[in-house]
Amino acid sequence: MNQQNFPVQVAPLESCREPGPEERSMLRKVLDRVGQYCQSRSLFVLHYCTGCGAIELPPSMTSRFDLERVGMQPMVTPRQADILLITGYLSVKTLKRVILTYEQMQSPKYVMGFGSCTINGGMYWNSYATVKRLGDYIPVDTYIAGCMPRPEAIQQGFLDLIERIDGGRAVAWKDYYRNYDRYLGHQQHLFGRDWLTPTDVVGEAAHYRLAGDGTLGPHTALLDQYAGYHQAWGVPREQYAELEASS
Amino acid sequence: MIPSLDLLLALAFGNLGLMLLAGRNPTAGLLSMILYALQGWVLVMLMPALAEGAASGLAFQVFGWSLSWELNGLGWFFAIITVGAAFFSAWFAAGAWGVQGTRSPWAFHVTLAANVAAMLLLLASRDLLTLFIGWELVTWAGYAMMIQSGGPATRAAYKYLIYGVAGGLAVLAAVVLIQVQAGGLGFAAVAAWMPGISTGMLWALMLLLGVGFGIKMAFLPFHRWQAEAYGESPGPAAAFLGAISSRMGLFGLLILLVHFIGLARLDELLLPLIGLDARILWMWLSALTIIIPTFIALKQNDARMLLAWHGIGQGGYMLLGVLVGSELGVAGGLLHVFNYATYQAVLFLVMGAVVYRTGTAHLDRLGGLITRMPLSYVAMLFAIIGLAGLPPMNGFVSKWMVYKALLDEGLPLLFVAAVIGTLGTILSVFKLIHNVFLGQLRVEHEQIREVPFSMWGPMIALSLIVFITGYMPGLALDLVMVAQTSLGFAALDYHLGGFVTDTGNLNMLAVVSVLLLGMGIGAGIFLLGGNKSKRVHQLDNYAGGHFLTTEVRYHYSHHFYAGLLRLIGPWYITLIKRLEGGIAALTDTLAAGSDGLYRTAYTPILMLAATVLGLALVL
Ligand code: SF4
Repeated sequence: MNQQNFPVQVAPLESCREPGPEERSMLRKVLDRVGQYCQSRSLFVLHYCTGCGAIELPPSMTSRFDLERVGMQPMVTPRQADILLITGYLSVKTLKRVILTYEQMQSPKYVMGFGSCTINGGMYWNSYATVKRLGDYIPVDTYIAGCMPRPEAIQQGFLDLIERIDGGRAVAWKDYYRNYDRYLGHQQHLFGRDWLTPTDVVGEAAHYRLAGDGTLGPHTALLDQYAGYHQAWGVPREQYAELEASS
Repeated sequence: MIPSLDLLLALAFGNLGLMLLAGRNPTAGLLSMILYALQGWVLVMLMPALAEGAASGLAFQVFGWSLSWELNGLGWFFAIITVGAAFFSAWFAAGAWGVQGTRSPWAFHVTLAANVAAMLLLLASRDLLTLFIGWELVTWAGYAMMIQSGGPATRAAYKYLIYGVAGGLAVLAAVVLIQVQAGGLGFAAVAAWMPGISTGMLWALMLLLGVGFGIKMAFLPFHRWQAEAYGESPGPAAAFLGAISSRMGLFGLLILLVHFIGLARLDELLLPLIGLDARILWMWLSALTIIIPTFIALKQNDARMLLAWHGIGQGGYMLLGVLVGSELGVAGGLLHVFNYATYQAVLFLVMGAVVYRTGTAHLDRLGGLITRMPLSYVAMLFAIIGLAGLPPMNGFVSKWMVYKALLDEGLPLLFVAAVIGTLGTILSVFKLIHNVFLGQLRVEHEQIREVPFSMWGPMIALSLIVFITGYMPGLALDLVMVAQTSLGFAALDYHLGGFVTDTGNLNMLAVVSVLLLGMGIGAGIFLLGGNKSKRVHQLDNYAGGHFLTTEVRYHYSHHFYAGLLRLIGPWYITLIKRLEGGIAALTDTLAAGSDGLYRTAYTPILMLAATVLGLALVL
């Protein structure tokens, strides 16, 4: 890992560590509690529906099962969404889009894998073009098993997720920042060494004070190496200046 | 130096001479700025003397006609806007723009000085003859200003010239008619003579003068020339022309309709068959002048054309306000002259700056400039809020006054028409700022920078005026009242923050303060409550999961408002095209008819008829 060359200044690791749930002050605990309660009751879902299972969502969302009862609504952009719902199988091509969309969401963000295909490849296990385990590429909070799961199962999955958000236990998104290098390694394994998104995950890790030992590594170093080939993908300008200065 | 009209005219013509000699000098812009500032100072100093009229010592006899000039309150009001607009335009051209932005800074400075001098002469006229002289000078000076950039501008300016000369001839005909009938041309004499004349004569005069002045103001149905002529002019020239030039037509119309004929007489002039009176006719023409050009502006693809079309539409509010005739309406209409000049100048200057940097004003070829030209963006933002007539900018105050006056006087349909115009304005100014400053920055504009101070200075200064006179409209109403009382209307009861009438009041100090407070609370929550924002790159944007590249255009700018235009498009075709076709056909027929008369061999009979008619008029 070449810290020197890396464009984003990552804050010293000590200051990055979030105090554990037990170390927080009483006031902070109360505030967090209120915050988590509110958050779990107002969730926007971004649907990434490429697989077959999408057909189960209309009944879940509309009057029959009516997910709006629990404060859930569809959202059209990742910036405003809280939950990324991925229905079913992902080909290599769509996985790229899913990762981009996931990275564009603001934290805290939750991912829901829907259907057996996201868990282990499901009935496409033998396919050369589909992804076996979604959890290798982005952190997943909840899986809903089934091929395909019925609306009741979806509802149960959402209720589980709500409960975990309420309890402060849905923290998979932090893992993406803490162990970005591992996730990126899996992505690069699939997409090639020059895989790059226009987002700035390392910068965000520092921004959320979640940079850890696993944030940077050999894989993130490759990002740096290939950034120049993808000028058009818009690595932030300031970083270019630093990159050029350092090279 | 004792401030007097003589000094003012001497400064104006001195400036013209100086620019003719030294217009090529790099300091010419600064020099002319100083001279415009001096003219402004003289005008301010003249303010107390206006009640009696500030006469000029300049007087001479030509063929037995005595010519002399005198500035009254109305002329003073327009003059101060003229000089102000010239000052800011000259400032814009004083630095880098004069060196690189134009083919000939000399031509710009000379024509600007000539326009100001001609306008001041026109505004200081005390009789119809000096008015006519001023009118012709203004027409030709405007032409000279428009042809500067060559190419399509020449064609547009030529079109203007044809309209302008036709208007001038109509004014001349009216002047001759009045001289023959009334025996004098002084404004006071004409106003005294007017009440006694026959209805037919009055219609004839109103038609001739109305057409003459209306053309300059691009009043419907003479609106076709203006947008092209102003839009094709270079940045600061367009700012000056757009801000004040066509208001000379309004000045003429005010003298004609209010001073000469009087609103009460207009009410008595009934149209045959329809039963509408002449005032309502003028008001509806104003309303159509608001609506039609505004919606034509909506579909323009060139930013300058869009602005120029709005200029035509905004003129309608001014005349509409004055024709309401209540203190509030007149004040609103006149205040709109001032307000409009401030923000229209900003908008044209901003587009001048954008053209200077990017070389185009085409709304499909710009976008995302906010990151490169933030000051220009702020200036444009202030100005479009003004143009759209929304608080806290000054355009809101004057439009509000016109609306309120219309409702108070029981004219709800005209009110609706005015509001429809405002709706069109809001839509199209959003298109303007969206397509130029927001959205995706084009690759070819990556490297551009903000314009230098000489260019953003006047934009920002003017946009601050837009805000301040919106916050404290009393400042501008001080000027307006001079014109309003000079026109013979009672003064409006106003204070620094707004006005008070029997039916309600407006206090912008309170309105804007509440608005700012609300924004402040929002900003406080955002900034003090742990601002967690993080800047992202422009291409880090959601497009259904697609990876965006600079090669892909995802800034939706072409054919903006397609849906709306599909709805109202047929109206254009049926209404406007047919109306224009009708007018063109009428002109053709008349031309062909007179041509036929001259060509066929009835010359002696025609001569006889003309002589008899002439004698009948004179005797
Ligand atoms: S889990 Fe079943 S239903 Fe869902 S995408 Fe895979 S194959 Fe289709």
